[in-house]
Amino acid sequence: MAVITVEELSKRYAGAAAPAVHDVSFTVADREFMVLLGPSGCGKSTVLRMIAGLEPITSGTVSIDGKIVNPVPAKLRDIAMVFQSYALYPHMTVYENLAFGLRRRNIEQAEVARRVHAAAAKLGLTDFLNRKPHALSGGQRQRVALGRAIVRDPKVFLFDEPLSNLDAALRVTTRNELIKQQHEIGTTSIYVTHDQVEAMTMGDRICIMNQGRVVQIGRPLDVYRNPADTFVARFLGSPSMNLLNGRIDAEDGRALAHFAGGAVSLPKRTSSSLAQHVGREVIIGVRPEDLYETVPEGDAARFARLHVRVVAVEPLGAETLLVVALDGSNEELIARIGRDTGLRTGDNLDIALDTAAIHLFDPATTKAIV
Amino acid sequence: MQMRLGFDQVRRAPLVLFVVLYTVVTGGPLLWVATMSLRTTAEIFKDPYGLPIPAHWEKFVEAWTKSHYGTYFWNSTIVVVIAVALVTVIGAMAAHCLARYNFRGNHLVRFLILSGLVLPPQLLILALFQILLDINLYNTLTGLILVYVATHIAMTVYILEGFFAQIPQDLFDAARMDGYSDFEIFWRVTMPIGMPAIFTTVTLNFIILWNEFLFAVVLLTDDDKRTLPLGIMHFTGSHQLDVGMVATGLMIAILPIIAIYAFFSETMIKGMTARAVR
Repeated sequence: MAVITVEELSKRYAGAAAPAVHDVSFTVADREFMVLLGPSGCGKSTVLRMIAGLEPITSGTVSIDGKIVNPVPAKLRDIAMVFQSYALYPHMTVYENLAFGLRRRNIEQAEVARRVHAAAAKLGLTDFLNRKPHALSGGQRQRVALGRAIVRDPKVFLFDEPLSNLDAALRVTTRNELIKQQHEIGTTSIYVTHDQVEAMTMGDRICIMNQGRVVQIGRPLDVYRNPADTFVARFLGSPSMNLLNGRIDAEDGRALAHFAGGAVSLPKRTSSSLAQHVGREVIIGVRPEDLYETVPEGDAARFARLHVRVVAVEPLGAETLLVVALDGSNEELIARIGRDTGLRTGDNLDIALDTAAIHLFDPATTKAIV
Repeated sequence: MQMRLGFDQVRRAPLVLFVVLYTVVTGGPLLWVATMSLRTTAEIFKDPYGLPIPAHWEKFVEAWTKSHYGTYFWNSTIVVVIAVALVTVIGAMAAHCLARYNFRGNHLVRFLILSGLVLPPQLLILALFQILLDINLYNTLTGLILVYVATHIAMTVYILEGFFAQIPQDLFDAARMDGYSDFEIFWRVTMPIGMPAIFTTVTLNFIILWNEFLFAVVLLTDDDKRTLPLGIMHFTGSHQLDVGMVATGLMIAILPIIAIYAFFSETMIKGMTARAVR
């Protein structure tokens, strides 16, 4: 069993104007796969290294199974780490790379051999045990790095962007393999990435970080559907959520979201929680998949019509991205529509917006209102 | 195509001519000494540039035994091998620490060590003479070894630190997490990966110290402690007319260096330009 608790963890480098990590707190449950997601430089790798014991902690605590491990050296925390660069020793064979960590722990040669061969068989590396890393492909090296962590049989796995050096196709297959291995082994894991697809597909929960702080923690789909602020709203989703400056007004007991180019009536469920925001500026968020070329079948009253002009059509094969400008303004929206469309640049149309899927954010704090 | 080839050859002609001239100027005297080493002095005076026919191989035995070149050779071997071993181990450890650790005074230590690169040996000779006298190591091979180690640490650290710094930090982090101590990481990770650069410094130090004359001539006085460069100077001074034996002694001194350079120069050049493998 391994429960990891990080409480108010901070890291400030000497001479730095701002802390690299500021008051980060989260808990990873036993057997959970937690993903730390954020842009480059947000502090996620620094958090991982502090958990591993490779980076001194400025303040805060890291606990494993209720025991604070701040003073415990990395080698005694029973943690195995897979590095972005794989960290394979170039002068050792695959067998020696896998066995390296075990040999230091006074494990008998027979047991070392057993574990190495078992991990190699699991990862399809048996035929490569006598090769050196330079004779392996990127995917094979990544598997050796994973194997080196698996043979240790640790309480916790830490992954520091292990797929970022792989090409797109290999990343997909290796990602699936990692998920499969983690489910089979069931070890508590923390995975750092800047790739939202990895986060959405791999994590039991994701912890989004920005500028050294935790912005939101939750299940991937929950975070995607209910972003806590505009940063999360734009970071998750490709293309990003469309954000427009607007204002909330009340009319006939319903809330109206005004923006350049139009206004939409908000659903009753949303309107009731907006009383305190009437007359105030807001940021209106709409995901590209909530804009439609034609009103879908079903509750037509839920959809508002916006008159727009097509600025660009980007056929992606499986779907089409439509860049449109709102009537009477320079504000642009991106809509994700079907692959079969006859629209061309310059066309005018009424695009359908799902009002139930509108997100509202406070422009002063950028936090979600609804 | 043929016209193009001709044009390229004309363009390369000055470079080829320069290389040929340089080879003749630097290699010519060496070749001449080599031929003289197999000829008697009488034959040389009769025909200075003649070929060694017949070749007098017994001159090497005579130089080794009667002219004490054997003693000088072993003194050089002992001094250089031990000095190179010590400077490599100490220099590698220093380079590893400077490249990998951020400790208080890191920059000052680096500056102090590397400042040895800019100090000419002539500046140090009087101080070293006095220090060795004070600690009773003057006119000893041990004293000379210590001087060689001290004066060549700077270059060794300079070359190795640059190479060691290129080794990815992840390798060291992984070894730390695997439970290895700092020294074990140095011995099991840094040294094997840094072998190309270490080989380069060993070869360079060997060649330089084998030919080193200034410190040896000041710090050694007894004939039975002389290194090869001193022995050659002594022999040349007292047997300046015995040109044939002087040449034979020179070849005994040069042959190890030529052999090392012939076999290991490619590895040395690779080490100078090598990058650590990821």
